Amino acid sequence: MWPTYSYYQLNQEREALAKDSAAIEQWDLANGEQFLKARSGRLKLGLDLRGGMYVTLEVDVLKLIEESADPLSVDDDLTKIIENTRKETDNSNQDVLETFLKNFRASGKSLLQYFTVSNQSDPTEASIEEKLQRDADGAVQQALEVIKQRVNKYDLSEVNIQQQGARRIVIELPDVKDEKEIRSLLQTTARLEFKRVVMNRELIRAFYAIDNLLKGVNPDTTVADTASVAADSSSAKKDTSSIAKADSVKADSAKRDTSGKAKNPYAGLSDDEAARRIKRDYPLTHMLGGYYAQSEKGSYQPFDLILKKADDFPEQGMYRFIISGKTLPQLLKILDRADVKRVIPADLDIIVAAKPEGTPSKDGTPEVYDIYGVTREPELTGDVVTEAFPSFDQASNQPVVLMEMSSEGAERWAQITGANINKRIAIVLDGRVYSAPVVQNKIPNGSSQITGSGSPEEANLLAVVLKAGALKAPVKIIEERVVGPSLGEDSIRRGVSSSLMSFALIILFMLAYYAWGGAIADVALLMNVLLVVAGLAGFGGTLTLPGIAGLILSTAMAVDANILIFERIREELAAGKTLKVAVEQGFSKAWSAIIDSNLTNILATIPLLVWGSGPVKGFAVILLIGAIITLFTAVVVTRAMFALIVASGATTINIGQKRTA
Amino acid sequence: MDLIKKTNIDFVTKRNTFFMASLISTVVGLIICFLPGMIELGIDFTGGTQIKVSFEKASASADQVRAAVSSIGFGGAEIKSFGKPGEYLIRINELGSASQISANIVASLQKSFPNDNVILVGADNVDAKVSKELAFDSAISLAIAALIMLLYVAFRFQLAYGFSAVIALAHDVLMAFVISVLFNKTGLLNLELSINALAAYLTILGYSINDKVVVFDRIRENREKHKGMPLAELVNLSLNETLSRTLVTGISVLAALLVMVFLGGDVLEGFAFTMFIGIVIGTYSSVYIASSFLIWYTDRVKHKNVGVVASTKA
Repeated sequence: MWPTYSYYQLNQEREALAKDSAAIEQWDLANGEQFLKARSGRLKLGLDLRGGMYVTLEVDVLKLIEESADPLSVDDDLTKIIENTRKETDNSNQDVLETFLKNFRASGKSLLQYFTVSNQSDPTEASIEEKLQRDADGAVQQALEVIKQRVNKYDLSEVNIQQQGARRIVIELPDVKDEKEIRSLLQTTARLEFKRVVMNRELIRAFYAIDNLLKGVNPDTTVADTASVAADSSSAKKDTSSIAKADSVKADSAKRDTSGKAKNPYAGLSDDEAARRIKRDYPLTHMLGGYYAQSEKGSYQPFDLILKKADDFPEQGMYRFIISGKTLPQLLKILDRADVKRVIPADLDIIVAAKPEGTPSKDGTPEVYDIYGVTREPELTGDVVTEAFPSFDQASNQPVVLMEMSSEGAERWAQITGANINKRIAIVLDGRVYSAPVVQNKIPNGSSQITGSGSPEEANLLAVVLKAGALKAPVKIIEERVVGPSLGEDSIRRGVSSSLMSFALIILFMLAYYAWGGAIADVALLMNVLLVVAGLAGFGGTLTLPGIAGLILSTAMAVDANILIFERIREELAAGKTLKVAVEQGFSKAWSAIIDSNLTNILATIPLLVWGSGPVKGFAVILLIGAIITLFTAVVVTRAMFALIVASGATTINIGQKRTA
Repeated sequence: MDLIKKTNIDFVTKRNTFFMASLISTVVGLIICFLPGMIELGIDFTGGTQIKVSFEKASASADQVRAAVSSIGFGGAEIKSFGKPGEYLIRINELGSASQISANIVASLQKSFPNDNVILVGADNVDAKVSKELAFDSAISLAIAALIMLLYVAFRFQLAYGFSAVIALAHDVLMAFVISVLFNKTGLLNLELSINALAAYLTILGYSINDKVVVFDRIRENREKHKGMPLAELVNLSLNETLSRTLVTGISVLAALLVMVFLGGDVLEGFAFTMFIGIVIGTYSSVYIASSFLIWYTDRVKHKNVGVVASTKA
């Protein structure tokens, strides 16, 4: 509950400053971490309550089968089997691949007639089935990977992308501004390319060119060096807390590096001021970190790009550039701009690694991504890849990826690898680098082994990516929901306020009807609702409309539990028992009804959780949490309060019962 | 406060009359509901595309909206409105992207009504495959949930109690369904059968089983206390003893739901209405359906046994 409250508090504070970007920057510096932490821990509202877009994608397994069949062998028989399978599976829950195989077997044909397994000289029926299964599974992973990377590019907060079942991907996008863009993002197929890595001084020149361009289009430069504070603050409009923080570090290092030089324009400025100016003067390069090694054997030394020009750097040698994961979205946005693309040399492309370097550290050090300069024209496109799969190298016992190519592709591959020995070739999917292995030797037959995957998982991912060349995962949108932001505002406010009023009504009613007993019940009820909502937030759950139904039911049952207890105590008091006995008897007699009714509901949520679809599950989760907490609050909390009253020596209590004369 | 004094109302003598009346009205109600065009299934269960728009100044009539929508090629569009002026639900069978179709429709409506402001409230596009799955999954999970309730009640009480509870639950859900379908026709609230309505029915089930268990619990207790008392009398005594609790709980929950019906807005009103109806029916069925069925069933089983014993002796 606390993160939820603190998020709304902080968000209000932050929004109050929204007009003043400099103030926001300051505020983010001070509270950013706390804000993000609260945001990730708070109770999330479902898209039906806050607006947004919800899309379910399904991998079209039949299309995949059709495409993976040898095109020359496809005949009417296979088309017919596929069509029948489509009819059969469109209206049922059956596994598509299984149904296809069943229908195929019924036709009495052999899979060998249509399919081949590229790395096997004599495939069997079983090995083809296995391949189809692998393709189908890989397709989902591939689509998932591509979509994740693409969505990353947009600064969409809290995008939720999940695999659902074996063949589906669910994407939830709150606060969607451009639906068309999102759709194209989900539907265009990814492109796999092999590009030569070019990491030299030209890349640095391109960086500075982008810097100049960004500065040039920035109206602030009209006031140039005598920039006023106001101009400074507007240039920092888009920055987030993390950037601000990274900057201050940068500013320190810049000062250190250049302290000896007389011409340092940032000397004598406060840290904040220096950071602001550096950011203004180096809009791109201030985000980058550079490393240089003289030769392959030399070790990489860090260097700074601030206050330098391209000619300051040696032409020969090895460069490496990195960027923090926190500023990565900014860089991607810059690289996506058409005017930025124009200032990059025609034969160069600047792209970023798909995954952060190394394994994520736990001590909170931000992840870093490698930036690559590559040739704009691919050496080879991915459609020559026929098969890729993860494996282990016998000698070193390291995870590797094996890749096969078509004969035409293999020929070109032999030339490319031959010409680039000891140079790097980047494997690029959808504009992101998944691996940039160094060519060890000329590969004559297309069978390549890619080493350097840190883990079997990494190797698996790389294989999935390489297969995108051979087989583009055909996905279709099978469900799409858009909840307009207008629902977000008014309706939600009414929903929340009416719920609070309803709850207040119950609180007052209990107080009026059961007097002191009502007060006790109200404490228990408040605890109940808070615990249920906190429980939901704690499990990372999302409150949806069906969830509210579950909340209403679980609250009603908590009210009922208290009423059952009070009615029993009243009965016992009316029968002339002392308070102590009446309370004891009241609880013990009400207990069986409370536990039976709550347990019935708890058990009934199980099938809803197992077989129910999303919204029904949302209902069941809250009901389950609610019923369990009701058992706790009614029995432990209410009881403890009564026990305290009895222990204090009271002999009567006003729970609204008829006064006996 | 103590509204309900100790009562001794005769609930059981006329039980058959009530039971038959309920049975008949449920059956008749269901027949009416299943007349063509009565049940309005939500997009979740039919598949297709549905767009909800709102005219800020409410200047467009349903016919004008239909004309504007068919002018861009959605001839068979179904236009519905729900009490709120200027708010329309546009349902089309064409499949396609919800966001794309909705953008087209909103643009076209805006062009037809340049003086008003057209707001997209929501758009859904559900593949027939998904909607069938949803219906199938919901039916399966509901059936198993009902079975679990039956088994648990049978285990904690007796088999007869389990059957009585499930019969009463079926009655509650069906009655609430009939009333919702009929009320939906008035056009005051959108009560079409959607996945959210399903959650409301689940709430009715949960509340109702809770109510039944409380009465059964009292019967179980009284059975021990008053050994030899005929079941009908036991049931009547237990119903009277729990009446106070039944009404107090019922009234407080109903009052809370009533607030949501009137003030809950788009998000909650339809939902709260169905729950409200269901809880009224659920409370009634604890008294007249579950208990009546329990007495009838127990009598029948007893007589049957006697009959069997007699026939073997003859």
